[in-house]
Amino acid sequence: MNSGSSKLQRNIFIASFIIPTFVFYCIFTVYPVLQGLYYSMFDWSGMSQHKEFVGFRNFKDLFHDPIVWKAIGNDYFLVVGKVIGIMTIATFFAVALTRFRFKLAGFFRSIFFIPNILSVVVIGVLWNFIYNPQIGFLNGFLSLFTKDTVSITWLGFTSHTIWMLLPPTIWAGIGFYMILLIAAIQNIPDSLYEASELEGANQWHQFSKITIPLVWEQMKVSILNIMMTTLNGSFVIVWIMTQGGPDNSTQVMGSYLYQMAFQQYHFGYGASIGVLILVLSLITTVALQRLLRHETVELG
Amino acid sequence: MNLGIRNPVAKGFFYILLLLWTVSVIYPLLWTLLDSLKDNEQFFIHAPWSLPRFPLLWSNFSYVWSKYNFNTYFVNSLIVTVGSTVLGLLLSAMTAYVLARYTFRGSNFLYLLYIASMMIPFILALIPLFFLMNSMHLINTKLGLIFVYASSLLAFGIFVLAGFFKSLPKELEESAQIDGASHFGTFFRIMLPLAQPGLVTVAIINVLNIWNEYVVGTIIVNDPTQYTLPIEIAVMQQEMQYRTEWGPLFAALLVTIVPVLIMYILFQRKIASGITAGAVK
Repeated sequence: MNSGSSKLQRNIFIASFIIPTFVFYCIFTVYPVLQGLYYSMFDWSGMSQHKEFVGFRNFKDLFHDPIVWKAIGNDYFLVVGKVIGIMTIATFFAVALTRFRFKLAGFFRSIFFIPNILSVVVIGVLWNFIYNPQIGFLNGFLSLFTKDTVSITWLGFTSHTIWMLLPPTIWAGIGFYMILLIAAIQNIPDSLYEASELEGANQWHQFSKITIPLVWEQMKVSILNIMMTTLNGSFVIVWIMTQGGPDNSTQVMGSYLYQMAFQQYHFGYGASIGVLILVLSLITTVALQRLLRHETVELG
Repeated sequence: MNLGIRNPVAKGFFYILLLLWTVSVIYPLLWTLLDSLKDNEQFFIHAPWSLPRFPLLWSNFSYVWSKYNFNTYFVNSLIVTVGSTVLGLLLSAMTAYVLARYTFRGSNFLYLLYIASMMIPFILALIPLFFLMNSMHLINTKLGLIFVYASSLLAFGIFVLAGFFKSLPKELEESAQIDGASHFGTFFRIMLPLAQPGLVTVAIINVLNIWNEYVVGTIIVNDPTQYTLPIEIAVMQQEMQYRTEWGPLFAALLVTIVPVLIMYILFQRKIASGITAGAVK
Protein backbone atom coordinates (compact mmCIF):
# COMPACT_ATOMS: atom_id res chain seq x y z
CA MET A 1 0.00 0.00 0.00
CA ASN A 2 1.50 3.32 -0.95
CA SER A 3 1.69 5.98 1.70
CA GLY A 4 -0.45 8.46 -0.22
CA SER A 5 -3.55 6.29 -0.23
CA SER A 6 -2.98 5.21 3.34
CA LYS A 7 -2.72 8.84 4.37
CA LEU A 8 -5.97 9.52 2.54
CA GLN A 9 -7.62 6.61 4.30
CA ARG A 10 -6.42 7.91 7.61
CA ASN A 11 -7.83 11.35 6.92
CA ILE A 12 -11.14 9.95 5.75
CA PHE A 13 -11.32 7.91 8.92
CA ILE A 14 -10.54 10.86 11.18
CA ALA A 15 -13.02 13.11 9.41
CA SER A 16 -15.82 10.56 9.49
CA PHE A 17 -15.35 10.05 13.22
CA ILE A 18 -14.94 13.69 14.18
CA ILE A 19 -17.34 15.58 11.95
CA PRO A 20 -20.74 13.98 12.77
CA THR A 21 -20.20 14.49 16.49
CA PHE A 22 -18.96 18.03 15.97
CA VAL A 23 -21.83 19.04 13.71
CA PHE A 24 -24.34 17.52 16.10
CA TYR A 25 -22.71 19.29 19.02
CA CYS A 26 -22.64 22.62 17.24
CA ILE A 27 -26.33 22.43 16.34
CA PHE A 28 -27.72 21.35 19.70
CA THR A 29 -25.26 22.87 22.18
CA VAL A 30 -22.89 25.49 20.79
CA TYR A 31 -25.41 27.27 18.59
CA PRO A 32 -28.09 27.61 21.31
CA VAL A 33 -25.51 29.00 23.76
CA LEU A 34 -24.35 31.61 21.24
CA GLN A 35 -27.96 32.38 20.32
CA GLY A 36 -28.60 32.98 24.01
CA LEU A 37 -25.98 35.71 24.02
CA TYR A 38 -27.50 37.17 20.86
CA TYR A 39 -31.13 37.14 22.07
CA SER A 40 -30.14 39.01 25.21
CA MET A 41 -29.76 42.12 23.05
CA PHE A 42 -33.38 42.11 21.90
CA ASP A 43 -36.76 43.11 23.14
CA TRP A 44 -38.74 40.16 21.96
CA SER A 45 -41.96 38.49 23.00
CA GLY A 46 -40.99 35.36 21.12
CA MET A 47 -44.45 35.01 19.66
CA SER A 48 -44.30 37.78 17.08
CA GLN A 49 -41.93 38.27 14.19
CA HIS A 50 -41.08 41.63 15.66
CA LYS A 51 -37.75 41.58 17.37
CA GLU A 52 -36.33 44.92 18.36
CA PHE A 53 -32.61 45.34 18.85
CA VAL A 54 -32.06 47.15 22.12
CA GLY A 55 -28.35 46.60 22.72
CA PHE A 56 -27.59 46.45 26.40
CA ARG A 57 -30.93 47.83 27.55
CA ASN A 58 -32.02 44.48 28.98
CA PHE A 59 -28.96 44.50 31.17
CA LYS A 60 -29.68 48.04 32.30
CA ASP A 61 -33.21 46.91 33.17
CA LEU A 62 -31.82 43.89 35.03
CA PHE A 63 -29.76 46.26 37.10
CA HIS A 64 -32.89 48.18 38.16
CA ASP A 65 -35.05 45.11 38.73
CA PRO A 66 -35.31 44.42 42.49
CA ILE A 67 -36.32 40.79 41.85
CA VAL A 68 -33.04 40.17 40.03
CA TRP A 69 -31.12 41.37 43.06
CA LYS A 70 -33.27 39.21 45.29
CA ALA A 71 -32.60 36.23 43.00
CA ILE A 72 -28.85 36.82 42.96
CA GLY A 73 -28.89 37.06 46.75
CA ASN A 74 -30.82 33.79 46.99
CA ASP A 75 -28.50 32.05 44.55
CA TYR A 76 -25.47 32.96 46.60
CA PHE A 77 -27.28 32.14 49.83
CA LEU A 78 -27.82 28.64 48.45
CA VAL A 79 -24.22 28.43 47.22
CA VAL A 80 -22.81 29.34 50.63
CA GLY A 81 -25.31 27.20 52.54
CA LYS A 82 -24.72 24.19 50.31
CA VAL A 83 -20.93 24.52 50.29
CA ILE A 84 -20.83 24.66 54.10
CA GLY A 85 -23.46 21.98 54.63
CA ILE A 86 -22.34 19.54 51.96
CA MET A 87 -18.60 19.89 52.46
CA THR A 88 -18.79 19.55 56.24
CA ILE A 89 -21.01 16.50 56.23
CA ALA A 90 -19.46 14.84 53.16
CA THR A 91 -15.94 15.27 54.54
CA PHE A 92 -17.01 13.87 57.87
CA PHE A 93 -18.60 10.82 56.26
CA ALA A 94 -15.68 10.30 53.88
CA VAL A 95 -13.21 10.31 56.77
CA ALA A 96 -15.45 8.19 58.97
CA LEU A 97 -15.89 5.58 56.23
CA THR A 98 -12.21 5.37 55.36
CA ARG A 99 -9.99 6.30 58.32
CA PHE A 100 -12.16 5.21 61.23
CA ARG A 101 -12.33 1.60 60.08
CA PHE A 102 -15.98 1.08 60.82
CA LYS A 103 -17.51 -2.24 60.06
CA LEU A 104 -20.39 -1.67 57.64
CA ALA A 105 -18.47 1.16 55.95
CA GLY A 106 -19.37 -0.28 52.57
CA PHE A 107 -23.03 -0.46 53.53
CA PHE A 108 -23.17 3.16 54.69
CA ARG A 109 -21.39 4.28 51.59
CA SER A 110 -23.90 2.57 49.30
CA ILE A 111 -26.86 3.95 51.21
CA PHE A 112 -25.59 7.53 51.43
CA PHE A 113 -25.34 7.80 47.67
CA ILE A 114 -28.99 6.90 47.02
CA PRO A 115 -30.38 10.50 47.01
CA ASN A 116 -28.01 11.22 44.12
CA ILE A 117 -29.74 8.75 41.83
CA LEU A 118 -33.15 10.36 42.34
CA SER A 119 -34.61 12.98 40.03
CA VAL A 120 -34.64 16.49 41.49
CA VAL A 121 -38.36 16.46 40.76
CA VAL A 122 -38.82 13.39 42.95
CA ILE A 123 -36.71 14.98 45.70
CA GLY A 124 -38.72 18.19 45.51
CA VAL A 125 -42.06 16.39 45.73
CA LEU A 126 -40.85 14.22 48.62
CA TRP A 127 -39.66 17.23 50.60
CA ASN A 128 -42.87 19.08 49.86
CA PHE A 129 -44.54 16.28 51.75
CA ILE A 130 -42.10 16.55 54.61
CA TYR A 131 -42.98 20.26 54.86
CA ASN A 132 -46.71 19.88 54.12
CA PRO A 133 -48.68 21.79 56.80
CA GLN A 134 -51.55 19.29 57.17
CA ILE A 135 -50.25 15.86 56.34
CA GLY A 136 -46.52 16.48 56.51
CA PHE A 137 -43.92 14.56 58.41
CA LEU A 138 -42.25 17.55 60.07
CA ASN A 139 -45.41 18.94 61.67
CA GLY A 140 -46.51 15.44 62.60
CA PHE A 141 -43.20 14.88 64.31
CA LEU A 142 -43.24 18.21 66.15
CA SER A 143 -46.81 17.54 67.29
CA LEU A 144 -45.50 14.62 69.31
CA PHE A 145 -43.87 17.12 71.66
CA THR A 146 -46.64 19.69 71.92
CA LYS A 147 -50.15 19.75 73.31
CA ASP A 148 -51.73 21.22 70.21
CA THR A 149 -51.27 19.97 66.71
CA VAL A 150 -48.49 21.87 64.98
CA SER A 151 -49.53 23.24 61.61
CA ILE A 152 -46.73 25.47 60.44
CA THR A 153 -46.71 26.33 56.73
CA TRP A 154 -42.99 25.80 56.34
CA LEU A 155 -42.85 27.10 52.81
CA GLY A 156 -45.09 30.09 53.46
CA PHE A 157 -42.86 32.74 55.02
CA THR A 158 -41.31 35.39 52.80
CA SER A 159 -38.48 35.83 55.30
CA HIS A 160 -37.52 32.20 55.92
CA THR A 161 -38.67 29.97 53.11
CA ILE A 162 -35.31 30.11 51.33
CA TRP A 163 -33.82 28.41 54.40
CA MET A 164 -36.20 25.50 53.89
CA LEU A 165 -34.61 24.81 50.52
CA LEU A 166 -31.24 24.07 52.09
CA PRO A 167 -32.05 20.72 53.77
CA PRO A 168 -33.30 19.00 50.59
CA THR A 169 -30.43 20.28 48.46
CA ILE A 170 -27.81 19.36 51.04
CA TRP A 171 -29.45 15.97 51.62
CA ALA A 172 -29.42 15.34 47.88
CA GLY A 173 -25.81 16.41 47.36
CA ILE A 174 -23.87 14.66 50.13
CA GLY A 175 -23.39 11.25 48.49
CA PHE A 176 -21.74 12.51 45.32
CA TYR A 177 -19.10 14.60 47.10
CA MET A 178 -18.58 11.90 49.70
CA ILE A 179 -17.68 9.43 46.92
CA LEU A 180 -15.20 11.93 45.45
CA LEU A 181 -13.53 12.52 48.80
CA ILE A 182 -13.43 8.81 49.63
CA ALA A 183 -11.58 8.17 46.37
CA ALA A 184 -9.13 10.97 47.18
CA ILE A 185 -8.51 9.73 50.72
CA GLN A 186 -7.94 6.20 49.46
CA ASN A 187 -5.18 7.53 47.25
CA ILE A 188 -3.20 8.72 50.26
CA PRO A 189 -0.49 6.16 51.01
CA ASP A 190 -1.05 4.29 54.26
CA SER A 191 2.60 4.79 55.18
CA LEU A 192 1.94 8.47 55.92
CA TYR A 193 -0.66 7.57 58.51
CA GLU A 194 1.50 4.79 59.92
CA ALA A 195 4.44 7.15 60.39
CA SER A 196 2.30 9.73 62.13
CA GLU A 197 0.81 7.01 64.30
CA LEU A 198 4.29 6.06 65.47
CA GLU A 199 4.90 9.66 66.41
CA GLY A 200 1.77 9.55 68.53
CA ALA A 201 -0.51 11.69 66.36
CA ASN A 202 -4.18 11.29 67.21
CA GLN A 203 -7.09 11.11 64.74
CA TRP A 204 -7.58 14.87 64.73
CA HIS A 205 -3.94 15.52 63.95
CA GLN A 206 -3.99 12.97 61.18
CA PHE A 207 -7.12 14.59 59.79
CA SER A 208 -5.84 18.15 59.86
CA LYS A 209 -2.18 17.50 58.99
CA ILE A 210 -2.46 14.66 56.48
CA THR A 211 -5.96 14.12 55.15
CA ILE A 212 -7.06 17.72 54.54
CA PRO A 213 -3.85 18.94 52.85
CA LEU A 214 -3.71 15.87 50.63
CA VAL A 215 -7.32 16.01 49.51
CA TRP A 216 -7.41 19.82 49.26
CA GLU A 217 -7.33 19.73 45.46
CA GLN A 218 -10.37 17.45 45.48
CA MET A 219 -12.17 19.69 47.96
CA LYS A 220 -11.48 22.67 45.75
CA VAL A 221 -12.97 20.85 42.75
CA SER A 222 -15.97 19.92 44.89
CA ILE A 223 -16.58 23.47 46.09
CA LEU A 224 -16.34 24.82 42.54
CA ASN A 225 -18.67 22.10 41.35
CA ILE A 226 -21.25 22.87 44.05
CA MET A 227 -21.07 26.55 43.09
CA MET A 228 -21.56 25.82 39.38
CA THR A 229 -24.39 23.34 39.78
CA THR A 230 -26.15 25.62 42.26
CA LEU A 231 -26.01 28.74 40.09
CA ASN A 232 -27.08 26.77 37.03
CA GLY A 233 -29.42 24.22 38.47
CA SER A 234 -31.18 25.47 41.61
CA PHE A 235 -34.07 26.40 39.40
CA VAL A 236 -35.54 22.89 39.40
CA ILE A 237 -35.81 22.42 43.15
CA VAL A 238 -37.12 25.98 43.51
CA TRP A 239 -39.64 25.44 40.75
CA ILE A 240 -40.94 22.20 42.20
CA MET A 241 -41.06 23.32 45.82
CA THR A 242 -41.99 27.02 45.84
CA GLN A 243 -42.19 28.30 42.24
CA GLY A 244 -40.08 31.20 43.45
CA GLY A 245 -42.69 32.24 46.00
CA PRO A 246 -44.05 33.34 48.33
CA ASP A 247 -43.85 36.83 46.83
CA ASN A 248 -40.59 36.14 44.95
CA SER A 249 -38.81 35.41 48.22
CA THR A 250 -37.25 32.17 46.92
CA GLN A 251 -36.71 33.33 43.35
CA VAL A 252 -33.33 32.32 41.93
CA MET A 253 -31.91 33.51 38.62
CA GLY A 254 -32.86 30.28 36.85
CA SER A 255 -36.47 30.34 38.00
CA TYR A 256 -36.75 34.01 37.13
CA LEU A 257 -35.38 33.27 33.65
CA TYR A 258 -37.97 30.53 33.19
CA GLN A 259 -40.78 32.71 34.46
CA MET A 260 -39.81 35.71 32.33
CA ALA A 261 -39.34 33.69 29.15
CA PHE A 262 -41.80 30.86 29.22
CA GLN A 263 -44.60 32.33 31.32
CA GLN A 264 -44.46 36.04 30.58
CA TYR A 265 -42.93 35.84 27.10
CA HIS A 266 -40.11 38.30 27.67
CA PHE A 267 -37.64 36.08 25.85
CA GLY A 268 -35.03 38.78 25.37
CA TYR A 269 -35.10 39.69 29.03
CA GLY A 270 -34.98 36.02 29.99
CA ALA A 271 -31.96 35.50 27.76
CA SER A 272 -30.19 38.41 29.43
CA ILE A 273 -30.74 36.69 32.79
CA GLY A 274 -29.04 33.65 31.24
CA VAL A 275 -26.06 35.81 30.31
CA LEU A 276 -26.01 37.17 33.85
CA ILE A 277 -25.82 33.59 35.18
CA LEU A 278 -22.92 32.88 32.82
CA VAL A 279 -21.04 36.02 33.85
CA LEU A 280 -21.57 35.45 37.56
CA SER A 281 -20.50 31.77 37.25
CA LEU A 282 -17.28 32.78 35.53
CA ILE A 283 -16.51 35.58 38.00
CA THR A 284 -17.24 33.32 40.96
CA THR A 285 -15.09 30.52 39.52
CA VAL A 286 -12.12 32.85 39.22
CA ALA A 287 -12.73 34.37 42.65
CA LEU A 288 -13.09 30.98 44.31
CA GLN A 289 -9.98 29.65 42.64
CA ARG A 290 -8.02 32.59 44.03
CA LEU A 291 -9.58 32.23 47.44
CA LEU A 292 -8.96 28.51 47.66
CA ARG A 293 -5.39 28.66 46.41
CA HIS A 294 -3.27 26.76 48.77
CA GLU A 295 0.09 25.13 48.45
CA THR A 296 -0.92 21.79 47.05
CA VAL A 297 1.03 18.89 48.37
CA GLU A 298 2.22 16.63 45.59
CA LEU A 299 2.83 13.03 46.40
CA GLY A 300 6.28 11.98 45.39
CA MET B 1 -1.47 -0.70 61.51
CA ASN B 2 -3.94 2.15 61.82
CA LEU B 3 -6.81 0.80 63.84
CA GLY B 4 -9.10 3.78 63.48
CA ILE B 5 -10.97 5.19 66.41
CA ARG B 6 -10.26 3.33 69.64
CA ASN B 7 -12.22 5.33 72.18
CA PRO B 8 -15.49 3.37 72.46
CA VAL B 9 -17.55 6.45 73.40
CA ALA B 10 -16.32 8.39 70.38
CA LYS B 11 -16.83 5.36 68.22
CA GLY B 12 -20.39 4.90 69.47
CA PHE B 13 -21.14 8.57 68.85
CA PHE B 14 -19.93 8.40 65.25
CA TYR B 15 -21.88 5.20 64.70
CA ILE B 16 -25.05 6.92 65.83
CA LEU B 17 -24.46 9.79 63.37
CA LEU B 18 -23.96 7.32 60.54
CA LEU B 19 -27.11 5.44 61.50
CA LEU B 20 -29.12 8.66 61.68
CA TRP B 21 -28.08 9.62 58.17
CA THR B 22 -28.91 6.11 56.98
CA VAL B 23 -32.41 6.55 58.36
CA SER B 24 -32.74 9.97 56.73
CA VAL B 25 -31.95 8.38 53.36
CA ILE B 26 -33.90 5.15 53.65
CA TYR B 27 -36.94 6.52 55.41
CA PRO B 28 -38.23 8.79 52.61
CA LEU B 29 -38.09 5.79 50.25
CA LEU B 30 -39.88 3.57 52.72
CA TRP B 31 -42.37 6.33 53.39
CA THR B 32 -43.04 6.60 49.64
CA LEU B 33 -43.76 2.89 49.51
CA LEU B 34 -46.05 2.94 52.57
CA ASP B 35 -47.93 6.04 51.43
CA SER B 36 -48.45 4.61 47.97
CA LEU B 37 -50.68 2.02 49.63
CA LYS B 38 -52.94 4.43 51.54
CA ASP B 39 -56.24 6.09 50.79
CA ASN B 40 -56.92 9.80 51.38
CA GLU B 41 -58.60 9.30 54.71
CA GLN B 42 -55.47 7.74 56.17
CA PHE B 43 -53.39 10.74 55.13
CA PHE B 44 -55.59 13.13 57.04
CA ILE B 45 -56.42 11.13 60.14
CA HIS B 46 -53.29 9.20 60.98
CA ALA B 47 -49.72 10.26 61.68
CA PRO B 48 -47.56 10.50 58.54
CA TRP B 49 -45.48 7.53 59.64
CA SER B 50 -48.44 5.28 60.40
CA LEU B 51 -48.51 2.00 58.53
CA PRO B 52 -51.06 1.67 55.73
CA ARG B 53 -54.30 0.01 56.71
CA PHE B 54 -55.26 -3.41 55.43
CA PRO B 55 -56.24 -4.22 52.79
CA LEU B 56 -53.32 -2.41 51.15
CA LEU B 57 -54.34 -0.20 48.27
CA TRP B 58 -52.27 -1.77 45.51
CA SER B 59 -54.88 -0.34 43.20
CA ASN B 60 -53.08 3.04 43.44
CA PHE B 61 -50.50 1.56 41.10
CA SER B 62 -52.94 0.28 38.51
CA TYR B 63 -54.74 3.61 38.86
CA VAL B 64 -51.70 5.74 37.93
CA TRP B 65 -50.69 3.20 35.33
CA SER B 66 -53.98 3.38 33.42
CA LYS B 67 -55.91 6.49 34.55
CA TYR B 68 -52.87 8.74 34.75
CA ASN B 69 -51.32 7.14 31.64
CA PHE B 70 -48.10 6.18 33.37
CA ASN B 71 -47.78 3.37 30.87
CA THR B 72 -47.27 6.05 28.21
CA TYR B 73 -44.84 8.15 30.27
CA PHE B 74 -42.86 5.11 31.28
CA VAL B 75 -42.44 4.03 27.67
CA ASN B 76 -41.61 7.63 26.63
CA SER B 77 -38.94 7.83 29.32
CA LEU B 78 -37.57 4.47 28.25
CA ILE B 79 -37.37 5.39 24.55
CA VAL B 80 -35.83 8.79 25.20
CA THR B 81 -33.31 7.43 27.71
CA VAL B 82 -32.17 4.51 25.59
CA GLY B 83 -32.19 6.51 22.37
CA SER B 84 -30.14 9.41 23.67
CA THR B 85 -27.72 7.19 25.57
CA VAL B 86 -26.97 5.02 22.53
CA LEU B 87 -26.63 8.00 20.19
CA GLY B 88 -24.57 10.03 22.66
CA LEU B 89 -22.33 7.09 23.47
CA LEU B 90 -21.65 6.21 19.82
CA LEU B 91 -20.82 9.80 18.87
CA SER B 92 -18.65 10.42 21.91
CA ALA B 93 -16.82 7.07 21.57
CA MET B 94 -15.90 7.80 17.95
CA THR B 95 -14.60 11.26 18.72
CA ALA B 96 -12.89 10.16 21.92
CA TYR B 97 -11.05 7.39 20.08
CA VAL B 98 -9.77 9.67 17.36
CA LEU B 99 -8.76 12.36 19.85
CA ALA B 100 -6.98 9.81 22.02
CA ARG B 101 -5.15 7.97 19.23
CA TYR B 102 -4.56 10.30 16.31
CA THR B 103 -2.90 13.67 16.26
CA PHE B 104 -3.99 16.08 13.58
CA ARG B 105 -4.21 19.81 13.24
CA GLY B 106 -6.73 21.16 15.74
CA SER B 107 -7.09 17.93 17.70
CA ASN B 108 -6.02 19.51 20.97
CA PHE B 109 -8.21 22.51 20.39
CA LEU B 110 -11.20 20.27 19.69
CA TYR B 111 -10.64 18.32 22.90
CA LEU B 112 -10.39 21.51 24.94
CA LEU B 113 -13.51 22.87 23.30
CA TYR B 114 -15.55 19.88 24.43
CA ILE B 115 -14.11 19.98 27.94
CA ALA B 116 -14.48 23.74 28.31
CA SER B 117 -18.13 23.58 27.32
CA MET B 118 -18.79 21.64 30.50
CA MET B 119 -18.23 24.96 32.28
CA ILE B 120 -20.93 26.84 30.34
CA PRO B 121 -24.29 27.01 32.11
CA PHE B 122 -26.72 25.06 29.97
CA ILE B 123 -29.55 27.26 31.17
CA LEU B 124 -28.24 29.93 28.80
CA ALA B 125 -29.16 27.64 25.90
CA LEU B 126 -32.68 26.98 27.11
CA ILE B 127 -34.52 29.79 25.33
CA PRO B 128 -32.77 29.39 21.96
CA LEU B 129 -33.24 25.63 22.22
CA PHE B 130 -36.98 26.11 22.38
CA PHE B 131 -36.97 28.17 19.17
CA LEU B 132 -34.48 25.89 17.45
CA MET B 133 -36.62 22.85 18.16
CA ASN B 134 -39.67 24.75 17.04
CA SER B 135 -38.13 25.66 13.70
CA MET B 136 -36.92 22.07 13.21
CA HIS B 137 -40.41 20.74 14.05
CA LEU B 138 -38.94 18.80 16.95
CA ILE B 139 -41.15 20.34 19.65
CA ASN B 140 -43.25 17.66 21.34
CA THR B 141 -41.28 14.82 19.82
CA LYS B 142 -39.20 12.16 21.47
CA LEU B 143 -36.65 12.62 18.70
CA GLY B 144 -36.18 16.24 19.76
CA LEU B 145 -35.51 15.19 23.33
CA ILE B 146 -33.15 12.45 22.15
CA PHE B 147 -31.09 14.93 20.08
CA VAL B 148 -30.75 17.49 22.86
CA TYR B 149 -29.98 14.90 25.52
CA ALA B 150 -27.47 13.04 23.35
CA SER B 151 -25.69 16.32 22.66
CA SER B 152 -25.60 17.17 26.35
CA LEU B 153 -23.90 13.82 27.04
CA LEU B 154 -21.05 14.35 24.59
CA ALA B 155 -18.58 16.37 26.67
CA PHE B 156 -18.64 13.98 29.62
CA GLY B 157 -18.48 10.93 27.36
CA ILE B 158 -15.57 12.26 25.31
CA PHE B 159 -13.69 13.23 28.45
CA VAL B 160 -13.99 9.86 30.17
CA LEU B 161 -13.64 7.69 27.06
CA ALA B 162 -10.62 9.57 25.69
CA GLY B 163 -8.91 8.83 29.00
CA PHE B 164 -9.98 5.22 28.70
CA PHE B 165 -8.75 4.77 25.10
CA LYS B 166 -5.43 6.33 26.04
CA SER B 167 -4.97 3.70 28.73
CA LEU B 168 -5.33 0.80 26.28
CA PRO B 169 -2.02 -0.60 24.95
CA LYS B 170 -0.98 0.73 21.54
CA GLU B 171 0.41 -2.63 20.40
CA LEU B 172 -3.10 -3.96 19.89
CA GLU B 173 -3.88 -1.52 17.14
CA GLU B 174 -0.48 -1.87 15.57
CA SER B 175 -0.77 -5.61 15.27
CA ALA B 176 -4.32 -5.31 13.97
CA GLN B 177 -3.14 -2.94 11.27
CA ILE B 178 -0.25 -5.18 10.36
CA ASP B 179 -2.81 -7.94 9.94
CA GLY B 180 -4.49 -5.69 7.41
CA ALA B 181 -7.38 -4.29 9.42
CA SER B 182 -8.58 -0.88 8.28
CA HIS B 183 -8.93 2.06 10.68
CA PHE B 184 -12.64 1.35 10.87
CA GLY B 185 -12.12 -2.36 11.41
CA THR B 186 -9.61 -1.72 14.18
CA PHE B 187 -12.05 0.56 15.96
CA PHE B 188 -15.21 -1.50 15.68
CA ARG B 189 -13.70 -4.97 16.05
CA ILE B 190 -10.89 -4.37 18.51
CA MET B 191 -10.93 -1.06 20.34
CA LEU B 192 -14.66 -0.71 20.95
CA PRO B 193 -15.03 -4.17 22.55
CA LEU B 194 -11.93 -3.49 24.68
CA ALA B 195 -13.40 -0.20 25.83
CA GLN B 196 -16.51 -1.93 27.08
CA PRO B 197 -15.91 -1.23 30.79
CA GLY B 198 -15.54 2.49 30.08
CA LEU B 199 -18.55 2.49 27.79
CA VAL B 200 -20.69 0.81 30.43
CA THR B 201 -19.67 3.35 33.06
CA VAL B 202 -20.47 6.31 30.83
CA ALA B 203 -23.72 4.69 29.69
CA ILE B 204 -24.95 4.16 33.24
CA ILE B 205 -24.19 7.71 34.36
CA ASN B 206 -25.95 8.98 31.25
CA VAL B 207 -28.99 6.78 31.78
CA LEU B 208 -29.36 8.07 35.35
CA ASN B 209 -29.10 11.69 34.19
CA ILE B 210 -31.54 11.36 31.32
CA TRP B 211 -34.11 9.29 33.18
CA ASN B 212 -34.24 12.04 35.82
CA GLU B 213 -34.04 15.08 33.53
CA TYR B 214 -36.76 17.68 33.87
CA VAL B 215 -35.82 21.20 32.68
CA VAL B 216 -35.15 20.58 28.99
CA GLY B 217 -38.05 18.15 28.91
CA THR B 218 -40.56 20.62 30.22
CA ILE B 219 -39.46 23.26 27.71
CA ILE B 220 -39.46 21.08 24.62
CA VAL B 221 -42.53 19.02 25.48
CA ASN B 222 -45.96 20.39 26.33
CA ASP B 223 -48.12 17.73 24.74
CA PRO B 224 -49.16 15.32 27.53
CA THR B 225 -48.82 12.27 25.28
CA GLN B 226 -45.09 13.01 24.97
CA TYR B 227 -44.32 13.62 28.66
CA THR B 228 -41.54 11.73 30.38
CA LEU B 229 -41.94 10.58 33.99
CA PRO B 230 -40.37 13.61 35.76
CA ILE B 231 -42.48 16.03 33.72
CA GLU B 232 -45.66 14.17 34.61
CA ILE B 233 -44.69 13.99 38.31
CA ALA B 234 -44.27 17.77 38.39
CA VAL B 235 -47.59 18.29 36.59
CA MET B 236 -49.32 15.79 38.88
CA GLN B 237 -48.06 17.60 41.97
CA GLN B 238 -49.52 20.85 40.63
CA GLU B 239 -52.89 19.18 40.05
CA MET B 240 -52.95 17.97 43.65
CA GLN B 241 -53.96 21.49 44.67
CA TYR B 242 -57.32 20.86 43.02
CA ARG B 243 -57.81 17.19 43.65
CA THR B 244 -56.23 15.24 46.44
CA GLU B 245 -54.97 11.89 45.32
CA TRP B 246 -51.94 11.49 47.54
CA GLY B 247 -51.81 7.72 47.33
CA PRO B 248 -51.55 7.69 43.53
CA LEU B 249 -48.95 10.49 43.64
CA PHE B 250 -46.74 8.38 45.89
CA ALA B 251 -47.30 5.38 43.62
CA ALA B 252 -46.20 7.58 40.71
CA LEU B 253 -43.03 8.58 42.58
CA LEU B 254 -42.25 4.95 43.20
CA VAL B 255 -42.72 4.03 39.54
CA THR B 256 -40.12 6.71 38.73
CA ILE B 257 -37.69 5.71 41.48
CA VAL B 258 -37.67 1.91 41.18
CA PRO B 259 -35.92 1.58 37.79
CA VAL B 260 -32.96 3.77 38.82
CA LEU B 261 -32.81 2.07 42.19
CA ILE B 262 -32.52 -1.34 40.53
CA MET B 263 -29.86 0.04 38.22
CA TYR B 264 -27.96 1.44 41.18
CA ILE B 265 -28.05 -1.86 43.03
CA LEU B 266 -26.71 -3.66 39.96
CA PHE B 267 -24.03 -1.17 38.95
CA GLN B 268 -22.89 0.61 42.13
CA ARG B 269 -19.20 0.23 41.43
CA LYS B 270 -19.48 1.48 37.87
CA ILE B 271 -21.38 4.54 39.02
CA ALA B 272 -18.79 5.39 41.65
CA SER B 273 -15.92 5.01 39.18
CA GLY B 274 -17.75 7.12 36.59
CA ILE B 275 -18.20 9.91 39.10
CA THR B 276 -14.58 9.91 40.14
CA ALA B 277 -13.43 9.82 36.52
CA GLY B 278 -15.78 12.61 35.51
CA ALA B 279 -15.23 15.00 38.39
CA VAL B 280 -11.46 15.18 38.19
CA LYS B 281 -11.27 17.64 35.37
